[in-house]
Amino acid sequence: MTQFASPFLLYLGVIVGAVGVALALPRRGLSPQAIGALVAGAGLGLGLLALGLKAGEHGPGVYFYLFTFIGLGAALRMISHPRPVYAALYFILTILSSAGLYLLLAAEFMAFALIIIYAGAILITYLFVIMLATQAPTAEEIDVLSEYDRYSREPILSTIAGFALLATLTSMLVGGLEKPLHRAGPDERVASVVLTRKVEPILTERYGLPPEARVVSVEGSSATVVFPQGWGGSEKIQLFRALDPGESMPFELPEEAAPENIEQIGLTLVGGHPLGLEVAGVILLMAMLGAIVLARKQIQEEEGRKMAAARGGLTREGAP
Amino acid sequence: MDAIATILPTFLAAEPAGAHAPGAQVGSGPPWAILIPLLPLLASALCGVCAMLRVKSKAPAFIVVAMLGASFLATAAVWLQGGGPGPMAGASVAHGWDWIQFAWGDGPGQALIANFSLYLDSLTLLWMLFVTGLATLIALYASEYMSHDVGQGYNRFFAYFALFVFAMSCLVMGDNLLMLFLGWEGVGLCSYLLIGYFYKKPSAVAAAKKAFIVNRIGDLGLVLGVFTTFVTFGTIEYAPLFEMVGAGVDGSGHALHGSWQATWIPIFFMIGAFGKSAQLPLYVWLPDAMEGPTPVSALIHAATMVTAGVYLIARMYPIFLLDDAHTALTIVAWTGALTALLAATIGMAQFDIKRIMAYSTVSQLGYMFAGLGVLTTTGAAFHVFTHAFFKATLFLCCGAVMHGFAGQLDLRKLSGVAFMKGWGVVGVAMLVGCLNLAGFPFTAGYFSKDMILAETFVTPGSVIGGASMVGWILLLTAGLTAYYTFRVFFRVFVGPQMYEPGEEHGHAPHRHDHGPGHPPGHGEHDLADARDQAQKDEPGGAHPHGHDFHPHAPGLAINAVLAILAVASVLAALTYFIHKPDHGWVGAMVHHSTAHFGGLDAHHGDEAAHASHGSFLGLDPHKAMYYVSAVIGMVGIFVAWLLHYRGRTGAAVAPADRLLGALGPIPRWAQQKWFVDELYDFVIVKPLWALSNVFHVIDKLIVDGLVNLAGLTPRGLGAGLRPSQNGLLHSYAAGMAGGIVFILLVVWAVS
Amino acid sequence: MDLATLAQGGLLHQATLTHYLFVSAAMFAIGMIGFLTRRNLIIMFLCTELMFQAAGLAFIAFGRHHLNFSGDVFVIFVLTIAAAEAALALALVVYLFRRKETLDASEWAELRG
Repeated sequence: MTQFASPFLLYLGVIVGAVGVALALPRRGLSPQAIGALVAGAGLGLGLLALGLKAGEHGPGVYFYLFTFIGLGAALRMISHPRPVYAALYFILTILSSAGLYLLLAAEFMAFALIIIYAGAILITYLFVIMLATQAPTAEEIDVLSEYDRYSREPILSTIAGFALLATLTSMLVGGLEKPLHRAGPDERVASVVLTRKVEPILTERYGLPPEARVVSVEGSSATVVFPQGWGGSEKIQLFRALDPGESMPFELPEEAAPENIEQIGLTLVGGHPLGLEVAGVILLMAMLGAIVLARKQIQEEEGRKMAAARGGLTREGAP
Repeated sequence: MDAIATILPTFLAAEPAGAHAPGAQVGSGPPWAILIPLLPLLASALCGVCAMLRVKSKAPAFIVVAMLGASFLATAAVWLQGGGPGPMAGASVAHGWDWIQFAWGDGPGQALIANFSLYLDSLTLLWMLFVTGLATLIALYASEYMSHDVGQGYNRFFAYFALFVFAMSCLVMGDNLLMLFLGWEGVGLCSYLLIGYFYKKPSAVAAAKKAFIVNRIGDLGLVLGVFTTFVTFGTIEYAPLFEMVGAGVDGSGHALHGSWQATWIPIFFMIGAFGKSAQLPLYVWLPDAMEGPTPVSALIHAATMVTAGVYLIARMYPIFLLDDAHTALTIVAWTGALTALLAATIGMAQFDIKRIMAYSTVSQLGYMFAGLGVLTTTGAAFHVFTHAFFKATLFLCCGAVMHGFAGQLDLRKLSGVAFMKGWGVVGVAMLVGCLNLAGFPFTAGYFSKDMILAETFVTPGSVIGGASMVGWILLLTAGLTAYYTFRVFFRVFVGPQMYEPGEEHGHAPHRHDHGPGHPPGHGEHDLADARDQAQKDEPGGAHPHGHDFHPHAPGLAINAVLAILAVASVLAALTYFIHKPDHGWVGAMVHHSTAHFGGLDAHHGDEAAHASHGSFLGLDPHKAMYYVSAVIGMVGIFVAWLLHYRGRTGAAVAPADRLLGALGPIPRWAQQKWFVDELYDFVIVKPLWALSNVFHVIDKLIVDGLVNLAGLTPRGLGAGLRPSQNGLLHSYAAGMAGGIVFILLVVWAVS
Repeated sequence: MDLATLAQGGLLHQATLTHYLFVSAAMFAIGMIGFLTRRNLIIMFLCTELMFQAAGLAFIAFGRHHLNFSGDVFVIFVLTIAAAEAALALALVVYLFRRKETLDASEWAELRG
C-alpha cells in the first residue's frame, strides 16, 4: 500500500496540535492561550504539510488552506473562550469558513443554506439563550464571569482523549486517495435523471425539432427523443428515410441543459430519500411540540415561584 | 308388616322389575340429571357473587337451601323415573359433557376417557337422596345457626357448603373413577375449608391442616387404586369396568382370579377409604375436625363425606370380591371392628359432648366397615343410611346446646337442658337420636346394627378370617356405645336444671361458632340482661360466676329441622320392613346395584343356606341377634342411668365419679385418647421434623449458598462499576469518546 | 478574473478527499475536546454543533468523491436534527437554569448510580 501521507509528520502534527490545544484551554493558574493557539496552528500546519507533500501537483489551492486555518482556529477559540457570547460568535466564523469549503466542493446550495440556517437561525437562538441564561450582574461585580466559564474541567485529559481520536482517524488517512475530488460543475454531468421539461425546449431550439417531439428519458449526457410520425427533418437534422411511428433517437445534451446544483439536490432529496424527508419533518414537528411543552412548564413554575416569593415575603415581613 | 304396608302402600306397590344383571347393557339416563351436581355449584357461585357484593343478609342461606332443595327434588325425580319408589332396575349413564378424552392408539387400553357423566343406579341414588336431603335440612339449620356471622363469614360459609354438596355429588354420581377422584378431593378441600372456617382460631387451623394431611395418606391409596385399575382394565369408566370384572378378566382378556391385581387393587382402594372414613390408623383427624361449625360436623363429618369410604368400597365391591382370599375385606372387617372399639372406649371418657359424638361417628363408621368386611354391603349401607339421620340429629342437638349456652359443651357443666323453657324439641330429638345410636329396640339404629352383627356370625371364618371374633368385638362396642350415648343424655338433658355458660359469653364480638350467646340484633336479650341487672336476685344459683346469662333457646329453623330429622330417624326404621326379601328398602337398593352381585348370593341371602354357615352360640344369628343386641343396648343404657342419673344432684358430680378411683389411670388414659396422637407425634412427626431439620441445614448451606452466590456475583460486579455512574455528563461523554476511540482502533487493526 | 483563471492559478485547485477528511476529523476532535472540558451547558451544546459541522463536511466530501448528491441531502438532515436539537436542548437549558441559577453541568448529577 502506497502511503499517501507521511505518518511521522502526521503524528507529529497531531501531537503538536494537542499540546497547543491543551495550552489554549482556559484553566486555573497560568493559561498561555495565545501561545497555545500558535502551537496548535503549527500542529495543523504540520498535519497539512504531511498531506500535501505527497499530493504533488494535485495539492489543494490557497483557498482551501485559508478556510481551513480560519475555521479550525475559530473552532479552537470557540472552545477556549471563557465568554459564551464570544464562543457563539467564533462558531459563526467556523460556519462561514465551512461554507467556504463547501463552495470549494461546488456545493453552492448547501453553503448558503448553512450560512442562512446555522449562522442565521440556530446561532441566533443560541445567543438568545445565552442572554436568558446568564445571571444578572450585580452592582459590585459587573461583567464578572462565572466560575464554570473561567475554568475548564480536566483540560489535559480531555485533550488527550480528543487527540487520541484524531490520531486514530488520521491513521486511516495514511493510505489516502490521491485523486482530486470532482467539482460538480457545469461540464461534469453526474446526473442520471434531469427534468425533461427543461431539456425539451433547449433541444428544440438547438436542433430545430418539431413541437410535437417529446423527450422521454435522459441518460447520462444524452437524451432520448420521440418524434412525431411523418416529420421530415430540419436544417440541422437530415433524414434519409421516413420515420416509423414512435421512433426515437438519442441526442447529445448541450452544456446549458445539464442540471444545476440545486436541481440535483432536489432530485436526490425527493427521489432518493423520501422517507428521510418525512422523518425529518416529523422530528421538526416533535421538537416544536416539545419546545412548547417545556416553555409552558417554565411559565407555570415561574408563576408558582413568584407567588411563593410573595407569600414568603409577607411572612418574612418584607425580606427579599 | 301388614300394618306398615297399609301405612306406606306406595312403597310396597312397586316391586323392582328384576335384579340387576351383571354386564347388562347400560342405558342412557335423563340428561337433566346433570342438574343434581350443577345446582349446588350454581348456588356456590351465587354465594360468591353475594360475597363480592358484600351482602349483609341471609340471602346466601336462602339461595343455598333453595338450590339444594331443587337438587334433592331432581334426585327424587331421577329415582322415580328410573324405577318408582323402589330400586331402579339396572344402571344408566347420563352424559353431561366430554371432559377428558385422550387416546394414543387404537388398541384397548390406549385411551383415557373420563367424561363428566353420571352413573345412575340405585346405589348412587340411595346416597344422593340422603346427601341432598340432609344437606338441604342442615343448610336450613345453618341459616339460623350461623346468623351471628351475617355480614362476616356468612357468604363464605354457604359458598363452601354448596361447593361441598357439588363435590359430594361428583363423588357419588360420577361414572368414572376420575370424577370420583375429583369429588373425593373436592369434599376434602371443602372439609378443610370448613374445619378452618374460624381461621383466626389456631386450633381450627391446626385441625384443618391435620384433616387435610391425614387424608393425603388415604388419597395416595385411592390414586394408586385408580392407576392400577386403569393399567389392569384399560378403562376407568364404571360400565365397561364392571362388565370386565363381572367376567373376571382384565383389559386384555386374561383371567384375574389369583393375580396380584385382584389382591392389591382392593387394598389400595381400602387405604383410600380408611383415610376419608376415619378408620384406624387414619382416624385421628375426625375428632379434631369438630373445630368446624356444628352444621359442618353434622353434614360432612357425620352424615355424608365420611361415608364416602363406605361408598367407594360398596361401589368397587365386585373388584373386592375378585380376590378369592378376601385379603382386603378381612382387613376391612378387622379394622372396622377395632376402630369401633377404640373410638367407643375413648368416647366413654370424654367430657366434651361434641367430641363424644365425633368418636361415636368414628365408632359407627367402624361398624359400617366391619359390615362391608363381612360381606354385607346391605348392612353397611343400611347403617350409613340410618346413621346419617340419627347422627345428624345428635350433632344438630349438640349444636343447638352450644348455640344456646355460649359454646358450653362440657357435660359436667350442663344438666336438665331438655326441661328448660324452649328446649323441648331439642330434648326429644336428642332422645330419639340417642336411642337410635344406643340400638334401643325397634329404632332404625337397632335394625341396621343388628344386620351387621348378625352377618358377622353368619359369615364363615373360612371366607373372612375371624368374622365371629369381629362380631364379639362389635357386640361389646354396642354396649359401650349405649353407655356413653346415654351418659351424655342423662347428664346434659335430664336431671336438675343447671348450667354454666361457655367461654364465649361476654366476649364483645361474637366471632366464634361456640359463642352465639347474643347474636347481633337480638334486642330482647339485651333487655333481659337489663332486667336481670335490676333484679340482682338470680334464681337457682344456676351459674357460679354470677354472669348475667340466659340460655338462648333455639329458634324456628333449628327446631323445625330437628323435628324433621327426629321424625326421619324414627321413620328410617320402617324402611327395614319393606322389600323384606332384600333386607329392607336399602337392601333392595343395594341389591340392585353393582355393590351386590356375583357369587355372594351363594353364601348370603338364601334362607335355606343359613344352617350350613356360621352360628351365634348354636342359634341362628339373624334371629338371636335381635334379642342379644337389644339386651346389650338396654344394659348399657341402664348402667348409664345408674352411674349418671340416679341420685345426681348437680351437674358436675355423678355416681360414676366414685368408680373412677377403682379404675386407676385407665379413665385418664382413655380421656387422653390412649395417647394415639402422642404416639403418632413420636413415631412419625418427630422423625420427620428431625429429617427436615437436616434438609433445612443442607438447603441453607448448599442450595441457598449457590443461589446467594449467583446473586452476590453480579452485586459485587455492580458495586465495582457503580462509581462510574456518577451522574456527571462529562464522565459519560468521556466514556463515549474512549469507546469510539477503542472501536476505531479495533476497526483499524482488523482492516 | 473568472473562476477558470483562478483555478489555473492554483488558488482554487481542488484538494483530495483526504484533505477534507483531515479537516473534518480535526474539527470533530476539537468539538469533542470542548464537550469534554467545558462546563457551561450552552458551550457544550455549541461543541455538539461543531461536531455536526465536522460530520457535514465529511458528508459533502464523500458525496463529491462518489459523484452523487446524497452527501448534500444528508447535510440537510443534519441541519434538521441540529435545529430540532437547538430548539429542545436550549429550552431545557433555560429550564434548568431557572431551577438552579447555574449552567454548570456538574451541578446536575442527581442520576448517579
